[in-house]
Amino acid sequence: MVLERRAARTSEFVIEAVDIVKRFGHVQALSGASLQVRPGEVLALIGDNGAGKSTLTKIVCGALAPDSGRLAFWGQATSVTSIRHAQELGVETVYQDLALAPDLSVAENMFLGREPIKPGIFGGWPPALDRRRMRQAAEEAIAAAGISTLNSVDRAVRDLSGGQRQAIAVARAVMWATTAILMDEPTAALGTKQTDLVYDSIRSAAKRGLAVVVISHDIPRMLDLADRIAVMRQGRTVATLPARDLTLSDVVTLMLGGKTRGEAA
Amino acid sequence: MSRITAEVAPPTPSRFGAAARSTPVAMAVIVVGLIVLFGVLSPNGAFFRVSNLSTITLNVAVTMLLAVGITFILAAGELDLSIGSNVVLSSVIAAKVLVAVSGTYDEVRAGEYPDLAIGIVAGTIAAVLAGTIFGAINGLLVTRLRISSFIVTLGTMGIGTGLAYVVSNGVNVAYVPRVLQTSFGIQKLFGVVPYPMIVVLIISAVLWYTLRKTRFGLYTLAIGSSREAAERAGLRSMRHVLMLFVMMGALSGVAAVLDLTRFATTNIGGHQTTALAAIAAVVIGGTSLFGGRATIAGSMVAALIPVILGTGLVILGVPSFYQLIVVGAILIAAVFIDQRRRERLNA
Repeated sequence: MVLERRAARTSEFVIEAVDIVKRFGHVQALSGASLQVRPGEVLALIGDNGAGKSTLTKIVCGALAPDSGRLAFWGQATSVTSIRHAQELGVETVYQDLALAPDLSVAENMFLGREPIKPGIFGGWPPALDRRRMRQAAEEAIAAAGISTLNSVDRAVRDLSGGQRQAIAVARAVMWATTAILMDEPTAALGTKQTDLVYDSIRSAAKRGLAVVVISHDIPRMLDLADRIAVMRQGRTVATLPARDLTLSDVVTLMLGGKTRGEAA
Repeated sequence: MSRITAEVAPPTPSRFGAAARSTPVAMAVIVVGLIVLFGVLSPNGAFFRVSNLSTITLNVAVTMLLAVGITFILAAGELDLSIGSNVVLSSVIAAKVLVAVSGTYDEVRAGEYPDLAIGIVAGTIAAVLAGTIFGAINGLLVTRLRISSFIVTLGTMGIGTGLAYVVSNGVNVAYVPRVLQTSFGIQKLFGVVPYPMIVVLIISAVLWYTLRKTRFGLYTLAIGSSREAAERAGLRSMRHVLMLFVMMGALSGVAAVLDLTRFATTNIGGHQTTALAAIAAVVIGGTSLFGGRATIAGSMVAALIPVILGTGLVILGVPSFYQLIVVGAILIAAVFIDQRRRERLNA
């Protein structure tokens, strides 16, 4: 899938969002936000609260429709009509509130909306969920994500710790993504060790050729993890720069509205 | 990984849904205990007689069917209080159609039904259709107008009962053919299992399979567990909830047919507490009132409790009014025990 798309691509960017505008009633959430990410790249999306980071990712992942602006995948202009549509484009999202159903098992959550169906006696009839396949694939994905504390993928998510839930949400996105992963504050609820695990998954996902967009307030870690940093302020993307060229104070200055040394020079 | 799983996971086979483990079994123990208790206490073991046990199953059939259906509604975190009035309205419409199609006014008045077969088919279709439309209206009001299902179905409960009175002029539909009752409603397979119960068991089996094994069932639980998570996973929760109400309506229509064959008359003043009885059975059986966890088996077994209590008390010479008191207490106790168990799980 990824290879096909690469062959057909007409742009160096997997995802390109340009001049995105979005209003909620009187609130101008986005007024010309942009985002461009290459395959195999980690892009950190940084900005103060209310800068529009979450809104921008929700537009890219199909959860919200933009009022105006251009969205392209592999250089093809595409209006993402639904979360399902974004998933078909290979885009997976890890939401701030994780979006797991607490009463369902880990395996059920990882496959929700995309469950395999058993071949069945009469050609897929009666249509039964292939729980064995779900369980196996979920176990593999969780092992690959380095989650070792989970005893069984049959456990209800309700019974898991915050860190485990976070890890499941990330593992689910990694399992399904073929183009890009969008992560909204993936480590907000985590301890240091679990945070490291998530950053490891992000790196290995990027190594596999996926584009990864991470929203985070942890600027020092982002400078270390990300290839490029996009800074948002008041609904606009004010700068997108290689992480290695930036310091913490540069990023903070951009977030708060001053000029960086580069711009001042 | 799977080896470790086998060592650490709870002893219950994991393919049974993670949530609904012990409640149906506990309820089955209570039911069997009640049967044994009443059997031993009743004079000459009257309670144990096949005729008594099959009367119990006949009495429970309609409630059980509705309880199984409403398990889905509760599983999705919704509520339907209107099922009793749906059954009444659908049975009135079915009876009207049945009588009108079966023969001319003079014929049916004389107890002759020249077109009985067509009448029965038409009446059955009318009942299921009416019930389905009733359910669809509930579903549309809940999903389109975004009004809570508690309020919507509280409203349609009154509307349905009122319409049943309007359609029937306040009196039960006359000249419903007796043969419905004598050749189906109170007939028993091998002299033991009432025909209506067979219908209920077949439908329940299909719905059990649907809840446990299919995407439809899983999506119902997912929506009840977290509507937001379900939608983020790309599920269309509104459409699904609409389908659940349509399904519930269709089942109410089937219940109306069973009711009509059982009594060979409509029951305009009846079913006022049916919805609450069904919901109580479902909750006692282990389904969460707040969605996400559901068990068809639990609903079926728990539906038996009030009927067994009622019959047993009568046989013992105790006024059956006590049945209401006991069932009310069981409902509260069951929910309390379930809450405690879950709190311990989460601790």
